[in-house]
Amino acid sequence: MMPPVEPLLAAENLTKHYKDVVALNDVSFNISDGITGLLGENGAGKSTAIKIFLGLIQPTFGSASILGQNASSSVGVRARLGYMPEHDCLPSHVTAAEFLTHMAEVSGLPPSTARTRAADTLRHTGLFEERYRAMGGYSTGMKQRVKLGQALVHDPAIVFLDEPTAGLDPVGREEMLALVRKTHREFGISVLFSSHLMVDVERTCDRILVLQRGRLVQSGEVGHFTKETETVFIEVDANRDGLVRALEKRGVVVTADGGGLTIEGPDESVYDHVRDALVEARAPLRRMAPRRRALTELFQRDGDETHVGAST
Amino acid sequence: MTHSGTVFDIGYQRYTGPREGRNRARLAVFKDGVRTALGLGRGARAKVLPWFFIAVLGSIALVMALIAGAMDRLVGPEAADQLNLPSHTDYYGIASILFFVFAAVGAPELLCPDRREGVINLYLVRPLAGSDYVMSRWLAFFTVMLAVTWFPQAILLIGLTMGDPDPAAYLIANWLDIPRFLAAGAAFAAYTTSLALLTASFTTRRAYASVFLVGLFVITTPFTTGLASEIEGPAGQWISMFNLTNIPVHVNDVIFGEASVITRDAPAAAFSAPVLVGWYAAWTLVPAGILWFRYRRLTP
Repeated sequence: MMPPVEPLLAAENLTKHYKDVVALNDVSFNISDGITGLLGENGAGKSTAIKIFLGLIQPTFGSASILGQNASSSVGVRARLGYMPEHDCLPSHVTAAEFLTHMAEVSGLPPSTARTRAADTLRHTGLFEERYRAMGGYSTGMKQRVKLGQALVHDPAIVFLDEPTAGLDPVGREEMLALVRKTHREFGISVLFSSHLMVDVERTCDRILVLQRGRLVQSGEVGHFTKETETVFIEVDANRDGLVRALEKRGVVVTADGGGLTIEGPDESVYDHVRDALVEARAPLRRMAPRRRALTELFQRDGDETHVGAST
Repeated sequence: MTHSGTVFDIGYQRYTGPREGRNRARLAVFKDGVRTALGLGRGARAKVLPWFFIAVLGSIALVMALIAGAMDRLVGPEAADQLNLPSHTDYYGIASILFFVFAAVGAPELLCPDRREGVINLYLVRPLAGSDYVMSRWLAFFTVMLAVTWFPQAILLIGLTMGDPDPAAYLIANWLDIPRFLAAGAAFAAYTTSLALLTASFTTRRAYASVFLVGLFVITTPFTTGLASEIEGPAGQWISMFNLTNIPVHVNDVIFGEASVITRDAPAAAFSAPVLVGWYAAWTLVPAGILWFRYRRLTP
């Protein structure tokens, strides 16, 4: 029998109060290998959770462990963590190569190794040619790459990315999301991806945790949520009402969608029911096609409690 | 014969070597602090101010040594001794204001930009506590200040030794000046480092910290000197103790066992050595303690 795999991060009844404000409220979850999305609006508690895991603030109640160690009491464990903050954090008069070398040393790597890894990391993040330029002259996209690079330069076990696509244009955003996927799939580094952009999380992550006003309101594999978002769209030339009645008689839930009908979360038998209902209602079929809704719609459908902003 | 080769992309390599933890992190921040204070690895503009001050401080020592050497030759060693020319005892007092301005300009460079540009957020998520960070920065600037205070005294020593008709005899007679100026320089360095870094910890703007510090050192000197000369007795002595540029010079005097040309007439010089050293220790350790406490609690 295989021994149980220890989670990279574990939160148990994690609660954080700032005077009267409850930033995190009794949150429990485990995160293991892979890319995990931490989703929530501004003020949902994402940054508070990350700061607790990084050992920068203490929880009011509960515990947070990282790589099996208590997050708030172990400074040493941070040598195996990477963090890419949302806000500016780059010195303008320093070159990317020098900065990453310094950050690698501050993470505990010997100087000669730090230099080599800085150059390698800049190559992997697409900044090799620009590495000897002062970072003050970099574009937003280049700065985001350096921020990611400094989080990876010491080869952490897990990296925390706080809104890594913030401020990027569509092309830059695509490239950053590709880098995030590469970070796990090619580099083997697990990722906790904090974002309020559901589209980014949906396209990048294996699992998601949804925080809302300090509470964990959804969690699971992205595949599970995408299954829930599968639909079948049907359009007929006539007798749409008859078709609805025939479907409902067979236990199929349908909703009107413009001129057509949508069936939620179809299983394999639904196509047989649709065929039989079309025959019974004598409704000439114009179009039938599977569709997927974005996760945004799922959380909006589930009501305010689980609604997460989906701005892109 | 030409050699040709092929560069292969071997992909991402996991790191399996040693991770040297907090000590390596402290050393890295220390080294970066020294380089920043001296403008090493930066553009020419970053080097101008620190090296200008170092050159001026060295020049003062050189001029003092040249005058002493010239007097030895012009009037003879014994007559020159009678002139009581400025020497190691007096150097820190004479150059004190330059040391303070150097600290006022250089120390904020080590703390302010890290907070202003957000780099501190990256330090604190590494195996480095806030107290480690500020201790490393303190040690870095202290090291630079040590070098800046000792370097001119070394020039002065070499100059006085070489200017003497019998250099070996001069060294034998005055060797005690070496540990004395090293100790007095360390006292100067610790004092200026603590005050300057504490001030820098209250603002993210280097210019604000520098202007405040220069004002503090330059304005308190004439103000306390003037007031102390008007008020007789212990009150005047205590007002004189608030002359911030003189606080480490009094310790210099205690170490050398004689008053320098700068503090000779200061009312505070009448205090006993333990009072002067205790006052200095308070002005050095309390700012250092507050600085440590502020950074110990710092979170991004």
